[in-house]
Amino acid sequence: MSRKQPKGEWIETDTGNKVNRKANLIGTQHIMLGGKTVIMPDAMIRGDLARTATSAAGGPPGSNTAVFIGRYCFLSKGCCLRPPGRIYKGAFTYMPLRLGDHVFIGEGSIVQAATVGSHVHIAKDVVVGEFAIIKDYVRIMEGTIIPANMVIPSFSIVAGQPARIIGEVPEGGHEAFELRERYKSVKTNPLAAGS
Amino acid sequence: MASNKRQSILPRVQAGPKAPVNFSSSITIADTAILTGNHTINISSDSVIHPRSKLDSSGGRVTIGRRCIVHERTHVGAPGPAPPSSSASFGVLLEDYVTVEVAAVIESGETTIAEGCLIGIGARIGKGAQLGKHCTITAKSVVSPGERVPDYTVVYSNGVRRLDKRGVNDLKNKAQARQIEVLRRLIPSNPAKFKD
Repeated sequence: MSRKQPKGEWIETDTGNKVNRKANLIGTQHIMLGGKTVIMPDAMIRGDLARTATSAAGGPPGSNTAVFIGRYCFLSKGCCLRPPGRIYKGAFTYMPLRLGDHVFIGEGSIVQAATVGSHVHIAKDVVVGEFAIIKDYVRIMEGTIIPANMVIPSFSIVAGQPARIIGEVPEGGHEAFELRERYKSVKTNPLAAGS
Repeated sequence: MASNKRQSILPRVQAGPKAPVNFSSSITIADTAILTGNHTINISSDSVIHPRSKLDSSGGRVTIGRRCIVHERTHVGAPGPAPPSSSASFGVLLEDYVTVEVAAVIESGETTIAEGCLIGIGARIGKGAQLGKHCTITAKSVVSPGERVPDYTVVYSNGVRRLDKRGVNDLKNKAQARQIEVLRRLIPSNPAKFKD
């Protein structure tokens, strides 16, 4: 952590994802990035925990992606995305973790949700328990602990240990969830990096 | 990319002394786990050590029992806030079927975690604490140094405690065994890296 950040540490993919070289992506073949996603240093994605139980319908090959991430997501420093796991039909298996678009994940937050909708703001030091489902336009305050299997409806503001819905996103407060500007503010060009 | 990344972190890994290890042949330990310290690290059969977990034996011996799961970013054997006393006969003892969740910290200094405990996400177990059998420490809870937690206690992060009377220990152990089976397939193991 204390090491000085050398410049020019970003990888920009064809679809506009900005991935820091210090990010910790494990099992990259099971991670799907929708594009324009920023992954900050020390963020961790456990793509290696892919689904092992094959569905009865026998899905198409290559469908065992562990982590789906939509567009314009922002994964802050030290956050961790890991697919949830449980006993399913007598065998233990990990299930995919899906993130919608414009999802912000704060520093040090650990997300083991089943689904996170679009336009979700997760502040720092949040724990999202296994198989939680977070719908669209949800704001999760700092230090919240969301228990396993909790379902959070759209437009909620959530806080507390354990998490409770403490309010609603006000009328017209939806623009605050836009992450396009944030995406643009991350400069991958070493000369332009100001911060 | 993976090999690139690994090389860039190598200096940090070697910052501490390489710990002497004693592995069972059936463990699964990820390549990027960090084992450091000058005392022995024992890991018994079927245990799984996730990538980027840190086992630190500089404050005393670290022993991990059978069928334990140590998740990523954990720090087992962390130095406590007080200066380490040299009188501790061992650092950390995890008995069988213990799960240490993501980013949990277990301080070193005769800290004992008994069979079947679950240390939740981001929890902190103080130096010299003794957890009884089948305790559940929920996310971000703190067990203070030297504390004795009775068997079957559930510790919540707001300080509330209760007893777990579900009586599902056998089922929990079975589930743990199943999970280990899967993890063994998913996590490439490289115990040779940590041996001399």
